Amino acid sequence: MPPRTSPLHVAACCSRLLLRPAANSHTPSLVSLFAGLTIGTRQASILANLRDNKGAYQKRIRLGRGPSSGKGKTSGRGHKGQKQHGKVKPWFQGGQTPLVVQRGKMGFENRRAPVMSKVNLDKLQEWIDAGRIDPTKRITVKELVESRLVGSIKDGIKLLGRGKEELRQPIDILVSRASTSAIGAVEGAGGKIVTRFYTKQSIRRILEGKSENTDKPLPVGAEHVPGVLAEMRSKGFPYRLPDPTSRRDIEYYRDPAHRGYLSHLLKPGESPSLYFKVPTVSERVVKKKKRPEQAKAAETLW
Amino acid sequence: MATAAPIPPIMTTLKSSSSKISSEPWTPGTHTLDLSSSLFRHLVPSQLQSKIPSLTHGPWSPVSTVPVTIHAFPTLAPRSLESYSTKHLYLPLRRDLLHLAVIYEADATRQGTASTKTRWEVAGSHRKVHRQKGTGKARVGTKQSPIRVGGGVSHGPKPRDFSTRLNRKVYDVAWRTALSYRYRRGELLVCEDGMDLALPRDFTTLLRGGFVADELAASYRRKWAEQILFANQWGKPDGRTLFVTGSRRPGLFDCMHDAGMHGRCLEVSDVDVKDLLEEGRVVVERAALREMLENHQSDLVSKIFINGLSRSGPPIGEPLVA
Repeated sequence: MPPRTSPLHVAACCSRLLLRPAANSHTPSLVSLFAGLTIGTRQASILANLRDNKGAYQKRIRLGRGPSSGKGKTSGRGHKGQKQHGKVKPWFQGGQTPLVVQRGKMGFENRRAPVMSKVNLDKLQEWIDAGRIDPTKRITVKELVESRLVGSIKDGIKLLGRGKEELRQPIDILVSRASTSAIGAVEGAGGKIVTRFYTKQSIRRILEGKSENTDKPLPVGAEHVPGVLAEMRSKGFPYRLPDPTSRRDIEYYRDPAHRGYLSHLLKPGESPSLYFKVPTVSERVVKKKKRPEQAKAAETLW
Repeated sequence: MATAAPIPPIMTTLKSSSSKISSEPWTPGTHTLDLSSSLFRHLVPSQLQSKIPSLTHGPWSPVSTVPVTIHAFPTLAPRSLESYSTKHLYLPLRRDLLHLAVIYEADATRQGTASTKTRWEVAGSHRKVHRQKGTGKARVGTKQSPIRVGGGVSHGPKPRDFSTRLNRKVYDVAWRTALSYRYRRGELLVCEDGMDLALPRDFTTLLRGGFVADELAASYRRKWAEQILFANQWGKPDGRTLFVTGSRRPGLFDCMHDAGMHGRCLEVSDVDVKDLLEEGRVVVERAALREMLENHQSDLVSKIFINGLSRSGPPIGEPLVA
């Protein structure tokens, strides 16, 4: 509807038409003249007539407010006992010795363990089919989070093999961890997979554009620091990606079976473990003890 | 604006999909009885049914845009015509959503600073007021007891947050419903950018020179605003007017402050759903309307990127006649 402008304008317009009927060959109809007029209406705000849908609110049940309410005498709590007066713990077994007392607790929860966001291959394929992820480019944390395949940022992203037979095209993917079946499926489809160490903070920085996401580890040694810093600053990244420091993480990413980004550091025949060596088959060298003959000679007098 | 014709000229330019159906321009709320449709076919005798001219329409394609005239301010001369999506300015009236939005805003506006002191917060010694026995008075402990005058308040108010939650998409639909309600009733006037009310130079020079007392200046500005308000029937007798601009416009805001009984001015960032519904009409700057629609279309735009693109909302203010 066109905005209601002042009827004064309209009145002037109409009067002009009425005063000069002969000038116009076709006289405007009375209806058309009325159509332009705004009939004065009482101003009443809609605010007084707003209400929610019927049934959107349930009226609160008022307990213990007389017998006619139906919840009067015992207020729906029955007769006598702990349940009437308070609360019984959900795990209370009626006085029987509880299981936890009989048998004790088993196991523990590792609160320090990194929590991984799981990405399954069927979901990844679904996102690729929908055009939400471009399989021709490398798929990294950034792509996974920005396409909303991964909802919340945790300590890392682990690729899992559910729906591995659905993966149709080669993909190049860089994630925190990958299951053996996922690695097999990605490489079976002709793709490439690399796992890289991330922390929650480093993922956040990648998403904010404050760190460069790369699968190259930082060089170790004080002499490399100025060069690396200069390169990062020239690219405009204030933060570098951290490499693992704990033995467990280092061992994971040194392992070629995990397609770890540190696995190229392994020398041929070296174990990814920092503690156990690979048992090697070698000739047993037996040193013959020289018998101290001279001493013997000295002992013999004749 | 002279719109004495039965169909306002803006309607003839309305981009309507009904052009295939008939030459008549589409007007909201006017529908002709279509005898060929199955609903009314039983009204026609069976021997005549074959003679009904087939008015069968193609697939149902509802109108998707509505026209908005952009006026000059304060003369209200029409300057251009733009089309807005029906999803922006022609939503059906949902009183329940408006109710939810108004209540949500009201809850968030509550200050919640009422505070009283409990018996533990009232200052003073906790010494026994007088001894337990022998005074003939009632036994008494500390002065801070809630039953004593000057004592603490039991179960009194403490500062708290009254704000409630409302889903963003619901709130945004309510916002556009309020604008649509205004538009449908012809109470939404869109004006060109830079909406301001210039005061006469004589007055401003005198004011700057300090020759006009504050009260006199205020009454002058009120009368200056009333000229325009009464000429357009925007004043208090006609239900007051809300002006919405992108930023603070000194002339308009000062005048309307002094003519506060006839309406008020708000910057677009200060407007909420209740403001849009309070006064008799809303006079809004074109850019401010655009900003309001852009900021309240979360149900129309998508955060999901497909092939690098996300679904953006319908276009806001496509020019029809410049």
